[in-house]
Amino acid sequence: MQIVVLAKVVPDYEVPSADFELVGNRAHPRYTRMIGLYDENAVELGVQLKEKLGADLTVVSYGRNDDVQFLRKALAMGADKVVLVEGDSDDPYVIAANLKDAIDRQGTVDLILAGRQSSDMDRGVVPGVLAGMLDLPFVPQACSVESVDGGWKISQITETGKRLLKLSGKGVLSITSVPENVPRIPAVKAIFAAKKKPVEKLPEIGTGKMAVSELSVSIPKVESNCELIPAEDMDDAVRVLLRRLKEERYL
Amino acid sequence: MERIPYWNISYGLLIDLLSIPAMAVFGYGIYRHWKRIRQGKASVRQGITLDALKLGPVYVWSFLTRGIVGTRIYKKPFTGIAHGLLFWGMVVLTVGTVLVFANVLFGIPVFTGEFNRRFMGGALDAAGVAALAGVLFLLIRRLSPPERLTCFKANSGFILIEIGIIAIIITGFFIEGARIAQNGIDPGSFVGNWLGFMLPTGEGGLELHRYLWWLHGLLVLSLIAYIPFSPLAHLVLAPANAGLDTPIPGPKMGVIDFEAFEGEGEEAPSLGVSKLADFSRKNLLDISTCLKCGRCHEVCPAAQTGKHLSPKGVMVTLAEYLQEGKMHDDSLLETISTDAIYSCTTCAACMEACPVSVNQPNAILGMRQHLLMERSEMPDIMGQAHRSLEARQHPFIGTGFGPNDWRKGLEVPIYERGATEYLLWIGCSVAYEERTQHIGRAMVAILKKAGVSFGILEENRCTGDPAKQMGNEFLFSEIAGRNIEEFNELGVTKVITMCPHCFNSFTRHYPLLGAKFEVIPHAVLIRSLIEAGKITLANSGRSICYHDPCYLGRHNNVLSEPRSVVSSIGHLVEMPRHGSESFCCGAGGGNYWTEEEGTRINQTRAKEALDTGAKTIATSCPFCMLMLTDGLKKFTEEQMVQDIAELVCSQMEG
Ligand code: SF4
Ligand code: SF4
Repeated sequence: MQIVVLAKVVPDYEVPSADFELVGNRAHPRYTRMIGLYDENAVELGVQLKEKLGADLTVVSYGRNDDVQFLRKALAMGADKVVLVEGDSDDPYVIAANLKDAIDRQGTVDLILAGRQSSDMDRGVVPGVLAGMLDLPFVPQACSVESVDGGWKISQITETGKRLLKLSGKGVLSITSVPENVPRIPAVKAIFAAKKKPVEKLPEIGTGKMAVSELSVSIPKVESNCELIPAEDMDDAVRVLLRRLKEERYL
Repeated sequence: MERIPYWNISYGLLIDLLSIPAMAVFGYGIYRHWKRIRQGKASVRQGITLDALKLGPVYVWSFLTRGIVGTRIYKKPFTGIAHGLLFWGMVVLTVGTVLVFANVLFGIPVFTGEFNRRFMGGALDAAGVAALAGVLFLLIRRLSPPERLTCFKANSGFILIEIGIIAIIITGFFIEGARIAQNGIDPGSFVGNWLGFMLPTGEGGLELHRYLWWLHGLLVLSLIAYIPFSPLAHLVLAPANAGLDTPIPGPKMGVIDFEAFEGEGEEAPSLGVSKLADFSRKNLLDISTCLKCGRCHEVCPAAQTGKHLSPKGVMVTLAEYLQEGKMHDDSLLETISTDAIYSCTTCAACMEACPVSVNQPNAILGMRQHLLMERSEMPDIMGQAHRSLEARQHPFIGTGFGPNDWRKGLEVPIYERGATEYLLWIGCSVAYEERTQHIGRAMVAILKKAGVSFGILEENRCTGDPAKQMGNEFLFSEIAGRNIEEFNELGVTKVITMCPHCFNSFTRHYPLLGAKFEVIPHAVLIRSLIEAGKITLANSGRSICYHDPCYLGRHNNVLSEPRSVVSSIGHLVEMPRHGSESFCCGAGGGNYWTEEEGTRINQTRAKEALDTGAKTIATSCPFCMLMLTDGLKKFTEEQMVQDIAELVCSQMEG
């Protein structure tokens, strides 16, 4: 059995807005790079499945040549191999096509996991497009997966709760974060072992683009209006706050 | 009349002969301890070297002061004095006994003249009285013990020993009295003479003397043989433990050479401690030496605020495992519990309080290293901070600031190779929290005012100390390695720190990784600038209470300089717990990033500061500043906590 996790290396997604700067419509290169937030959840879930099912776990990424050093974290967490397609497009269609090409080269793949959205573009489009290209079902917002007779039992997080689904066969899932898939801190030996695990680099394949073009990118202005909530104690404060948030239609 | 050894005793030499098996049993008992301790690892960690007087592995000064004189025992005056009276009383009595032997064997004239009157009579009686008073106090305290002695486990065996010692002293006095009753007054022997008046003369008296003599001798020999099998083993273990303990304060974790792991991968030896066999011999000696006195429990901020940790509790568990020979039982960490292991703030209050030089945090941190580096287990929030440190070189998750926001609108020179004298190290804590950013800004103003040649790094980051404290020695060595490389490239030779954790890391751990630069804490530098007249301050006269950061005070003995700075600005007020006995703010050991159970340590400390009635609470650590500021919110809305740099900055003249 082989599981593929899609992971993207992105600029620090926690850069505070006051410090955030754009260069050519993208985050300034001075920011530290790391695997995207939800992608790490997907890797964690993949590692858990690997440990349970004895599967092979391959991390597939589309990005820069020097992303390998950050992708090694996924290897240290427990993935067996990294495949990096070198490219710099932000077009979801191009990215998905390249990921598909890399996945096709991996032989039989039983399940594909991705973060629910990348932490730089935040669109959450690629996994769906990829599923379409692979002609596989796509389940967004999954949080846990179990193997059941030739298919998968999946918990999907909805706005109001959880839905249990069954996938009879292969599929692409995008993973959201739950406490159960908080990424593990790699053990030191695993970090050393990761240095010896294989990394495959693939050249980008030329492909068409989506008919969507970027007109402008802007950073939202942060304004804060501070209001103190009068309350007796913590419980009271929470009640008042909740009421206010609802009144103001934030919730 | 001159005393005659073995007077009234036939076959008195039997006692000397019996001392041989007694000593053999004593030796065997000590050998058993030695064998147990030998099961630990020979020290594998690289530790900081120290130019202290050493004989082989023994630090002579620690051995004499902490091991023999027992300086730390006196921190509890009553118990200390009682212990001192008993110990030194028994030492003098032992010297007396040895002199008796010397007289028997070599005819050395100890029973004549002034020496007999003053020492063999007066001093020995006084020593006996002192020892008796001491042991009676200790017995009474054992019978109605304070909580610290009984929590987790009391050391069994002390009562029997104390009764034995009392019996030995009393029989000793009565032998003397019985002899005097027969032979007349012995000058100087004030107790003996007094008893002599009351004891029978004639055959009854002689018989009483004989029985008492044999009883006393046999009791002494039994006690000697029993020592290593009883808590009295600390007579040997405590000096050994003190002598082998580097006199540098703090847990002394050293560094691990990870290069050895490069080639080994999964086969490399297990990191940290998961079972007794992973401990060093010094750790096992610590465990064997612990008296279960609970002094560490009493001062531990975690234990005192309802956390799962008690350093005594840890030692008790370890001692039980050692006693039962469970060297390879890996249930150890579960028994002690992850919660307890991560609750340690590494403040080292326990070490400071321990009368027998046990290094509790070292054992706790060893286990923490295993949890983190082998099992990847740590509390959630600490885990997030750790991940942040790993990815972005600082642990301040969710900060609203970038690395250079602290100096927005401020002209701060960048360090230039060959042109700048000091590197002002900002670190993470001064950069990423709004409150602590003021410390950096104040320090810049002070240095500019004093005309100090300084500069900062273009991109500041963490020393890696939180990683080390959380147990990730590997991450620490990676971050430290990068910093050292950059310092070398820049030609940095002098560094100013504002955070005691940075200072401690730079001076204790970086040198082991190849760093060669001087480091000065801002408190010390500011003090020297004031002394040199480079800055002049207006003394406001207001009362300022100073909180000692553990990593500056207890860990590095920087106690007087910040006080002196505070005294230049206002009137210094002390909290009950201060100096090397200060109480932690709760942030150390990565606990800045935890949800605390029980009472919050920072609130306890803030209240203590508030209760001094001081108008301002001064610190010289950004973590202490954040913790105390937060802790104080429970009691007042006033912003009372300030770093000494801020205080100095606000009082600078001209
Ligand atoms: S170092 Fe501090 S927190 Fe840790 S066990 Fe000792 S006293 Fe307790
Ligand atoms: S470690 Fe030291 S202070 Fe703590 S109980 Fe043992 S002997 Fe006492």
